[in-house]
Amino acid sequence: MCFCVFFLQVGYQTFISQCSLNGDGLVAVLRLLRLCFCRMIIFYIHVVRVLRLCRNAATRRENMADLRPRSHNNKRSRQRVCSLTGGVLQLTDLDDFITPSQECVKPVKVEKKQGKSVAKIQIEDDGSYVQVNQDGGKQKLEKAKITLNDCLACSGCITSAESVLITQQSHEELFKVLRNNKDNATEQKVVVVSVSPQSRASLAASYDLSSSEAGRRLTSFFKGLGVHHVFDTSYSRTFSLLESQREFVERFQRKEQDSKCLPMLTSACPGWICYAEKTHGEFVLPYISTTRSPQQMMGSLVKGYYAEQQGISPRQIYHVAVMPCFDKKLEASRSDFYLETAETREVDCVITSGEVQKMLEEKNVSLNDVEPAPLDTMFSSVSGDDFLNHAGSGSGGYLHHVFTYAAKQLFGEEVKELTYKTLRNKDFQEVTLEKDGKVLLCFASTYGFRNIQNLVQKLKRGKSPYDFVEVMACPSGCLNGGGQVKPRPGQNPKELLQKVEALYKSERPLSPEDDAQVAELYQIWLGSVGEERARELLHTQYHTVEKMTNGLAMKW
Amino acid sequence: MKEGLTLVQRLSAHPDSRCWFVSWSPTGTLLASCGGDKAIRIWGREGDSWVCKSVLQDGHQRTVRKVAWSPCGNYLASASFDATTSIWKKKDDDFESLTVLEGHENEVKCVAWAPSGNLLATCSRDKSVWVWEVDEEDEYECVTVINSHTQDVKHVVWHPTQELLASASYDNNICIYKEDDDDWECRATLQGHTSTVWGLTFDAAGQRLASCSDDRTVKIWKDYSNESGQGDLSWKCICTLSGFHGRTVYDVAWCGLTGAMATACGDDSVRVFKEDEASDPDQPVFSLSAQVSKAHSQDVNCVAWNPKEVGLLASCGDDGEIAIWRFQSED
Repeated sequence: MCFCVFFLQVGYQTFISQCSLNGDGLVAVLRLLRLCFCRMIIFYIHVVRVLRLCRNAATRRENMADLRPRSHNNKRSRQRVCSLTGGVLQLTDLDDFITPSQECVKPVKVEKKQGKSVAKIQIEDDGSYVQVNQDGGKQKLEKAKITLNDCLACSGCITSAESVLITQQSHEELFKVLRNNKDNATEQKVVVVSVSPQSRASLAASYDLSSSEAGRRLTSFFKGLGVHHVFDTSYSRTFSLLESQREFVERFQRKEQDSKCLPMLTSACPGWICYAEKTHGEFVLPYISTTRSPQQMMGSLVKGYYAEQQGISPRQIYHVAVMPCFDKKLEASRSDFYLETAETREVDCVITSGEVQKMLEEKNVSLNDVEPAPLDTMFSSVSGDDFLNHAGSGSGGYLHHVFTYAAKQLFGEEVKELTYKTLRNKDFQEVTLEKDGKVLLCFASTYGFRNIQNLVQKLKRGKSPYDFVEVMACPSGCLNGGGQVKPRPGQNPKELLQKVEALYKSERPLSPEDDAQVAELYQIWLGSVGEERARELLHTQYHTVEKMTNGLAMKW
Repeated sequence: MKEGLTLVQRLSAHPDSRCWFVSWSPTGTLLASCGGDKAIRIWGREGDSWVCKSVLQDGHQRTVRKVAWSPCGNYLASASFDATTSIWKKKDDDFESLTVLEGHENEVKCVAWAPSGNLLATCSRDKSVWVWEVDEEDEYECVTVINSHTQDVKHVVWHPTQELLASASYDNNICIYKEDDDDWECRATLQGHTSTVWGLTFDAAGQRLASCSDDRTVKIWKDYSNESGQGDLSWKCICTLSGFHGRTVYDVAWCGLTGAMATACGDDSVRVFKEDEASDPDQPVFSLSAQVSKAHSQDVNCVAWNPKEVGLLASCGDDGEIAIWRFQSED
């Protein structure tokens, strides 16, 4: 193209020099030439643009082929996309493979500025991106960030960013906040740590201590780092148990009118909730209890009640929860647990039992060497120097408590001891209340993915005989959570689990109805805020995650 | 008798599509095939030729990848790319859909019945292997979900006599599973192939396992586990057949009656290997007994030996056709 223009110019100049036309004729010819010249330039620009688009389209198509399911070394995937029939390229069977979500459900919001949309982007030496505007002004571009919050909504992006982002909520963050407190006199945060009884039992097993002893020493360790309060989630669990009991009875009483209220499925396990929202959606969500989990109940207590009492904004509190699994980090990041006005999360950071172990190692401290400290009684279930627990399973005892309460409230039956019947495997157990040969209540606990599968499939076919199911994603429940302290080399994992279970059960149980402290808080705090606010503080909701399984809907 | 493979009949099973798999019924009288046209076809013999007895359409929304007959011959399971597995019940000459097993996150690549008839195994691109159990009322429930592979699982096969499961994957490994306590675990990982393992087959006695792969070889593995059955199992590769196949070997089938091994290859040919009589059982030597270079006009996807009729072999390919062969060995 450039050569044509060049030759044109040369020709033009020679023509001019050779020309012997008179003035007017010459002007006319020159005008004509100029017109042709301009038209050619415009034509050139269009051609280049089209060529560029084609090239980009070709690269995008290649990239799309890469995103296809991993049968790359199988020429089939390429054959599947196009077939050459009679010289014409045809797209065939494009929707035969189920592709994972190709579009991020929560795209990053970009501020659209008015004006010309053309700008140059320069990469600086330090790796940052700078936009160079038309007037020469430079603007540093922000890195697009996807937070854990955003990823929760996604139905499975190819990079499995969830697992990557889970590591961002770590003990490093806690250390950072504590450091900031030490260095910064102005922006002090009140640091509160809520320890779950399962994590306590796991750490106790790791250091050969009793559960209460481990709790006392953990309190001392955390306070030594600068933490202000160390609470126990058994306390907030009391709220969860009480609310679950009431919710079940209320559901049972309206089971004739509402076909989707029973069986009631527990909601304390975030792994189960994430799976239910992503895979089964609208079908299973109505069955799930709206009661908050102990972690988020504690969130309400700390950032709601405690903040009010102390006269500080919830933003000034940094709430850390020590939990037995990683999915609790996802739970803490849910938008339902974000306080809009205060612009803070109810639980800021979740660290696992294993991460606490790492913290101890980093600080070169062994729990055995730490001096025990007195326990914070405000939001802890304690009696003297010992922790109090709840009866029932190591995952919270929901089945136990709802069963005994329902038996009493609905049928006037006092149940002293529950008889568990093991079904298909030890993670699937059943408890029934029978009177005069009639089954009044049928409850079950299903732990582990395989049992959850069977539960949901039975539910879908309308063949589930249960009124209530305690659902936990981990086989053997929370005591065997993915974030618990791992067995030492040579230690048998089954033996370690048994040890943790024994330590957990050694704490004295307290019935939720007999907890005077909790009853008091119900009256003075929840009673005073009104029914709607109380419901907000004690309950939550679920959202189906929309899946995008059609690869053709991908935006270019 | 001349040794070799002779074509008995060619059937246009899945027109305008590819035929992915063929499976003989336990009595050897019916042949089930499935393909990219989302249908399953049942073929039976009428006189001297094979004809289509029934077509099972509308069972799946996407390609049907594999079909498997139950050991009693009354049920047919089909695995499809729509992430479901359908169970069909045989009623006289027709089949009706009994139930659909859901749960896999993406394409189900294989389904296999255990010899006891009570258990069913499925595997999928979601890297998991699921074991299902059937009860008396034809209710299917998930027994376990095993995630031993790190990539797409291509094939699962049951041991002919023990309750042992083997799976092959895109991650180049073969995993062997056994039930322990109340859950299934991977007891052995067979490493050796340098690319995707596409097919697996046990020999008649179940002492040896043959695997075929994208690395163009077929490997024979033998069980050297200690008698007690406790702890990890030990399987070692005792033979590798290389240099015979020009492209990926997609399927391998070990005849339960004669011990001959057939392979389906991406170079459009079907080959039959036989073990040399004199070779050491711990170091067998297999030699190429018969080969048909252009068995199909495109990749051969599957080979299957008839369980009752000696020498009858069925193969299917990307050309949508099924070819029935007769293998005559020199005896």
